[in-house]
Amino acid sequence: MSKAINGLFRRVLIQGSLLTATIAIIGGGIGFAVAGQPGLISALIGAALALGFVSLTALSVWLGGKLPLGGFFGLVLGGWIVKLVAFILVIGALKGADFINGPVLFFTLVASILGTLAVDSLAFLKARIPVVGD
Amino acid sequence: MDVTNIAELSGNLAVIGYGLAAVGPGIGVGLVVSKTIESIARQPELAAKLQVTMWLGIAFTEALALIGLATPFIFG
Repeated sequence: MSKAINGLFRRVLIQGSLLTATIAIIGGGIGFAVAGQPGLISALIGAALALGFVSLTALSVWLGGKLPLGGFFGLVLGGWIVKLVAFILVIGALKGADFINGPVLFFTLVASILGTLAVDSLAFLKARIPVVGD
Repeated sequence: MDVTNIAELSGNLAVIGYGLAAVGPGIGVGLVVSKTIESIARQPELAAKLQVTMWLGIAFTEALALIGLATPFIFG
């Protein structure tokens, strides 16, 4: 992978983390005002889940790009399926928990996912990826 | 068995929702990856650029999966 691609993924991960942290703070404030401590905890969990699962995709493509083509697809697709199963298990474990406020967690998660998608798209549009590698 | 209730369905309907939330993005990611492999086979010199483009396609598709799988928090 070229330096431009490394820079793109580094930028995406840093900006995505900053945006998710901001959403966690705002969501936590709103959640605390709406549902007390469970709202605050739910917002933090929702933002952390979104950051973890969205960043893993970027990370797998970034690291996979350093491997041969078969390894790249193995890492990206294998990582994707493991991630989805893990997400289902986490959601199943959290669903009935007492310290969770469902709507706060859901909307923080959705806001974080859409926010990171916007960051990804903007970073991708601005990136100048050369056709020939370094 | 009650005669007026011949085709009874039991269980949690949310399971069907989980399945649908997995099927849609699964097809989407499959299409994105298959087209990327096809493109790399045609133009191997563009592999790095195509891999990065594929990441954006996967990111959008998986967003739908994550949102779909989290819906039990509001509908459950």
